Amino acid sequence: MSNTTPGAQQPLLAPPAARPSGPRTAARSHAQTVRGLLIKIALLGIVDAIALFAMFILVMREEWLVFAIAAVVTVIINVIYLRPGWLPAKYLAPGVFFLAVFQIFVVGYSGYIAFTNYGDGHNSTKEDAIESIIANSLTRVPDSPTYRLTVVEQFGTYGFLVTDPDGDTLLGTPEQPLEEVDAEEDSTGKAVSVAGWTSLGFGDLLANQSIVVDLSVPLSDDPNDGALRTPDGSSAYVYTSDLVYDETADTFTDTTGGEVYVDGGDGSFVNEAGRELQPGWKIDVGFENFQRAFTNEDIRGPLLSVTLWTFAFAILSVASTFVLGLFLAIVFNAPHMRGKKIYRVIMVLPYAFPGFLSALVFLGLFNEQFGFFNQVLLGGASIPWLTDPWLAKFSILFVNLWLGFPYMFLICTGALQSIPEELSEAATVDGAKPFAVFRLIKFPLLLVSVAPLLISSFAFNFNNFNLIYMLTGGGPRDIEAGVDAGATDILITLVYKVAFGEGTGRDYGLASAFAILIFLIVATVSIISFRQTKALEELN
Amino acid sequence: MKVTSRSFTITGALAMSAIVLAGCTAPAGEPGEGSEEPQFEGSLTVWVDADRAGVLEDAAAAFEDERGVSVELVTKDFGAIRDEFITQAPTGNGPDIIVGAHDGLGKLVQNGVVSPLELGDKASEFQDVAVAAMSYEGQTYGLPYSVENIALVRNVDIAPEAPETFDDLIAAGQAAVAEGAAEYPFLVGLDPAAADPYHLYPLQASFGAPVFEITADGTYDPTTLALGNEGGEAFAVKLREWGQAGILNTNISGDIAREEFVAGKSGYFLTGPWNLPAIKEAGINYAIDPIPSAGGETATPFVGVQGFYISSESENQLAANEFLVNYVGTDEVQTALYEVGGRAPALLSAFEAAQSDADVAAFGAVGAEGVPMPNVPAMDVVWSDWGSTEVAIINGQGDPVELWRAMVESIQSKITG
Amino acid sequence: MTNPFNTQQGAEIGDRLNPLVAGSGATDRASRAPRTVQTADGRVLPTRRRRSFGRWFADTGWRHLIGVVMLVFAAFPLLYVLSASLNPTGTLVGSNQLFRVVDFSNYVELFQRPQQPYAAWFLNSLVIGLVTAAGTVFLAALAAYAFSRLRFTGRRVGLLTLLLVQMFPQLLGVVAIFLLMSGIGEIFPQVGIGTQSGLILVYLGGALGVNTYLMYGFFNTIPVSIDEAAKLDGASHAQIFFGIVLRLVAPILAVVGLLSFIGTFSEFVIASIMLTDPQTQTLAVGLYQFVSQETSRNWAIFSAGAVLAAIPVMALFLYLQKYIIGGLTAGSVK
Repeated sequence: MSNTTPGAQQPLLAPPAARPSGPRTAARSHAQTVRGLLIKIALLGIVDAIALFAMFILVMREEWLVFAIAAVVTVIINVIYLRPGWLPAKYLAPGVFFLAVFQIFVVGYSGYIAFTNYGDGHNSTKEDAIESIIANSLTRVPDSPTYRLTVVEQFGTYGFLVTDPDGDTLLGTPEQPLEEVDAEEDSTGKAVSVAGWTSLGFGDLLANQSIVVDLSVPLSDDPNDGALRTPDGSSAYVYTSDLVYDETADTFTDTTGGEVYVDGGDGSFVNEAGRELQPGWKIDVGFENFQRAFTNEDIRGPLLSVTLWTFAFAILSVASTFVLGLFLAIVFNAPHMRGKKIYRVIMVLPYAFPGFLSALVFLGLFNEQFGFFNQVLLGGASIPWLTDPWLAKFSILFVNLWLGFPYMFLICTGALQSIPEELSEAATVDGAKPFAVFRLIKFPLLLVSVAPLLISSFAFNFNNFNLIYMLTGGGPRDIEAGVDAGATDILITLVYKVAFGEGTGRDYGLASAFAILIFLIVATVSIISFRQTKALEELN
Repeated sequence: MKVTSRSFTITGALAMSAIVLAGCTAPAGEPGEGSEEPQFEGSLTVWVDADRAGVLEDAAAAFEDERGVSVELVTKDFGAIRDEFITQAPTGNGPDIIVGAHDGLGKLVQNGVVSPLELGDKASEFQDVAVAAMSYEGQTYGLPYSVENIALVRNVDIAPEAPETFDDLIAAGQAAVAEGAAEYPFLVGLDPAAADPYHLYPLQASFGAPVFEITADGTYDPTTLALGNEGGEAFAVKLREWGQAGILNTNISGDIAREEFVAGKSGYFLTGPWNLPAIKEAGINYAIDPIPSAGGETATPFVGVQGFYISSESENQLAANEFLVNYVGTDEVQTALYEVGGRAPALLSAFEAAQSDADVAAFGAVGAEGVPMPNVPAMDVVWSDWGSTEVAIINGQGDPVELWRAMVESIQSKITG
Repeated sequence: MTNPFNTQQGAEIGDRLNPLVAGSGATDRASRAPRTVQTADGRVLPTRRRRSFGRWFADTGWRHLIGVVMLVFAAFPLLYVLSASLNPTGTLVGSNQLFRVVDFSNYVELFQRPQQPYAAWFLNSLVIGLVTAAGTVFLAALAAYAFSRLRFTGRRVGLLTLLLVQMFPQLLGVVAIFLLMSGIGEIFPQVGIGTQSGLILVYLGGALGVNTYLMYGFFNTIPVSIDEAAKLDGASHAQIFFGIVLRLVAPILAVVGLLSFIGTFSEFVIASIMLTDPQTQTLAVGLYQFVSQETSRNWAIFSAGAVLAAIPVMALFLYLQKYIIGGLTAGSVK
């Protein structure tokens, strides 16, 4: 390294030693090409085998859409790697494949949720909902006796052989109400078998359990007497249901009051009074969630102040961590400095511990009465670090600086390696002052390579839910003003409160709609910033 | 980079062989219907937290032995189980059984992911409050295993006598502070941002202000808030008074409260059995008392019940039912669960046996007066407003009664949506 | 192509930067000028001492000062964790008396809980972290090379899209990931819910994005003439990429690998829904279980676990430092 004499204006390009060392014969090159080809074919073969297997299963399951996508993707991959040329695609395909499946799809799916009512109470399909309503409406008749039960089977029909509390033995099937029969009893007086029917042991019960638990044997011809059902296969109880589902009309009827619940079009059964049966199911609702997002009072009220703080928080976080990280990267880039390895490692510590743990530690340090800052550092002062609106903002930024500077330190250390020394040397020889060299030459170069990361870091902090949530929960809240937003609430935490904390619980549909809106904001800001970076890049 | 590409190839090869294997075994997995010996091929998947998993292992082994059904225990973070289960159940990939606290039941039913559980004649073998907690809108959904509640833990060396009323407690506590015997008149763990409505509830209840109106059949009516009645407002006024007198301090978190009590700095600590191990270890000479009334009526704590639920999507309803009722609902398992978690068993026979432990008996006596924490889904909304309003009142912002009224209004509007 | 701060000139740069960063304008150019050994040897001792201390401070001393300050800043909050881990009944925040008790029983107990197999978690995190880091470096390097060296339509838009995709608020991503993985798991049970390989695949989905950018910037500083020279020698594209370019960008590969490893190591949300069996879980998921329940919190054990968990990250960084800092030197053998 030391052979570069000061001031030597070495050309930027082509350090000679970077050439492949040693003479290279055509034969060797050819052999390597063949090896490369073999590797390529082997890898492609594996990919194709996996793809074919997946497609085979998809055909079996009649998942035609997914099958078509899989087939197209497979063909594209093969074409990319078999056809000469298309070099960019060859390099990009592996990463883009993972990106498409695990990120773009996920974003797309979240976007789709914005157009549904998915959330608590609207969690699954209509069939599931109907099944649940029926199951939950079945109630055991109060104080009714327990029937000891043997489940029996005859030509594929299942029946209940029960011993009633009086010791009588009865047999019935879902179609045939209970009737008295003569049956064989065990020593405890429980009927265990009856002629013509096969008794089911526990193993048989388990093998057919979905049928058994659905069996409902009427007590008599009058359905109001209820029916026997068994939860465990060895005892039966009398159940009645106060909700009857009519499949053709798609309605539930309350047998006690005669009220009818119809599919109200909002993903639930409702009666005329507007009472909903739980659970409902998931349906598409169009732009309703976006409408709600724009009209929600809890968002609109504090929107301005929260948006301002969100931007301030994100920008200040990026700026502070970057400045500190860059400064440290420069400081510890000294070749003759002893122990810089140790310093560097210690500085990565905040990054090496789980974030929630650090937040909890700081929560303790900031405690107004018992925390280290007040009690030890400030000799018993009572500074409300987390409960004063402005101090809480400061504390959040402070903690974020602590959490975030190692990242910036790492990327700046990495990026500094890419700046050619010759440039600044040339400038120094021309008589430029050190700071000017840094500011005019190194810093712009550095900025070109790290600017996208700063923008990305801005986007991350814009949605830095965890930090705010764990440290202040968005608070302190001005409880007298009657708004839900606290002094440190950023958009994403406010959205969380509104979409997950109100009404019926977690409303994924509304949350997704907000997520899309926030995404649009962040993306716009980022694209504008990129324009600036681009200008910067072309400048150099 | 060579290493990387090689490992990629290896991964690919592994994936291939695994696929081939899977292809071979898939047809064999079909259960043979109508064969000579119908053998149940499935297994039960149970989501439990780490502490519970250890205990259930024995029950699971016994179940597999006697019933031929294997039980797979999946350890999950207790707090995360409910929400993850709600997401996973509809896909059909969820577990058959989950463990959970009863206050999440409403949300589970609202999402249609749990199926009713008929305890049969066994219902009478459990504590009433436990079965009530496991019920929602008249239907029982879970098998309870533990009951817990808070009580007043007293440092006998500092406060030799149990206080009759909360005012007595304050007087005695302040006297102890004045004498230098203690540093705090009273300790309860609060949060600087959210206070702790759960721990403060007994005091509030003693003013006759539960969260919701309680209907004739003893369940909560989630549409009618009772927080805002006169008792609630009287409680709000008292909160301010206690806050200013330093009886309540939002800077004292749960961890700090425990640490200070363990260090012998206060005569009274309002807490649950989970803090007893630390108190014992520190050698504090303690007694467990009923919570003294502040407003005249009985100071009833919330009772928290934990239990097991069966998924409505489970294909193994019958096996799951059998496992819960006849294997988990036994004396042995309930006692073992009590021993590992320190929470009083829900099964009466196990609870009686546990009474030999004076601490369990004392907490149990207090809990007998208690009501289950509401398990309606609307509670999620209630907690947050409730807590931040309590913080504001304790710390002297605004007018307590007005704040309380605003809180009730806000909660009401969020519940009705 | 020299490494700016790894040379004698580097020292000078630091020296030159000194006035602005340390605020000591005392180092004037005159004192810097007589720098050769002979000059130093020719001076009388006291002068030399005084001078050399001044020089030492101007050169590196102030850096140590900053280093110590940062050491306190970075490590101090974590002393609480260390203190709690050495105290059998420790809490994180209860007391300001650090290191009242020093007792290693928590560390012992950590490895004796069959339901919470810490050793397995540790190993899992290492494996998942390393595999993900390697995969990430590989995928991102491929993409960055294409963006840097090749010109194609959609290049700018593509670069921008990579970054924008990662800006979507991930509040709900978890639900989608779960549904996706359970769907994939029905076709390939080997990578479905509950498998570590599935988790790695999900992590690799995030391989591009920021990492590509970081590498892209670095690739741009490697002269194209190197590629061209190799091409003239008859090397194929793949050979140039794997054989030459990757070596030259070693520092940034190390940085990206480290960032990816740390990110994976501490990732909690996706890992907690993907991994169900305690034996397969990662440290972040497992550790959280120690403190997630108010009523059964065990700060002491948790802290011990967290302290040990930080070691692999630190060790990896220590190991990668030589590539990050000295990488360019090794790459362009002079």
